[in-house]
Amino acid sequence: MTGPFADLLIAAGVLVGLWSLVQLIVNRPLGRALRLGVWCLEALIAVFLIGGIAQMMTTDQEFAKLEFVGYLLGMLAIPLAALWWTRTDGTRAGTAIIMVIGLVTSILVLRVQQVWAGPHG
Amino acid sequence: MDETRATHRGFGRVLVVIYALFAIAATARSVVQLSTKFSEAPVAYLLSALAAVIYIVATVALARGDRSSRRVAMAAISFELAGVLIVGTLSLALPDEFPHASVWSSFGSGYGYIPLVLPAVGLWWLRRTRPQHTSE
Repeated sequence: MTGPFADLLIAAGVLVGLWSLVQLIVNRPLGRALRLGVWCLEALIAVFLIGGIAQMMTTDQEFAKLEFVGYLLGMLAIPLAALWWTRTDGTRAGTAIIMVIGLVTSILVLRVQQVWAGPHG
Repeated sequence: MDETRATHRGFGRVLVVIYALFAIAATARSVVQLSTKFSEAPVAYLLSALAAVIYIVATVALARGDRSSRRVAMAAISFELAGVLIVGTLSLALPDEFPHASVWSSFGSGYGYIPLVLPAVGLWWLRRTRPQHTSE
């Protein structure tokens, strides 16, 4: 769970966050391009979820597995919930929400890695 | 009701999302703590569960944004502010009593002190969106 794909997902989350921040600064409401960016992030999270569960099934490592899967499912659900919450939102608030979601995704990858490493990791 | 002053418009939409994230984080943490290790620190874990309930109530009340929800949000967020200040202070003053972290321990340091700032922002937002035509 500390491989290049996790790093890619952290970078993607930060990128969505920074992109939203720039859009906020230039006073842009939430548009189609940024929504598409969130869907790309969601696709990466789905791969991370499947890869994470596959690795969990094949490792002998001791860690909080229920918590691990919970975080992965939460990561998958959060951008979808944000897309739903902003579905009719053509304002800057929508852009700010996507900024929060991008950064939260990156933080959650780090948290997933901590859980994977276990209490003594 | 004047929709432009509702708690779920504009910045309020962002605030609802942040409250929802804390509701999810606190609830998930609380469920894990209560189901797997309740006997280790029942008081701390019950406080965690209480924090989770407060975040859920505040999220729903802010998202609904009607007049009665505003009162519920005010009560929940005030309670949240008191909670983070009391639990934060006690966790630093009596660390032995709070060996297991909760959302409010050390003023929410585990969550970037957002739990400390959030209720202040929430109360500011409720004040800012307060209807002006009422006799309150």
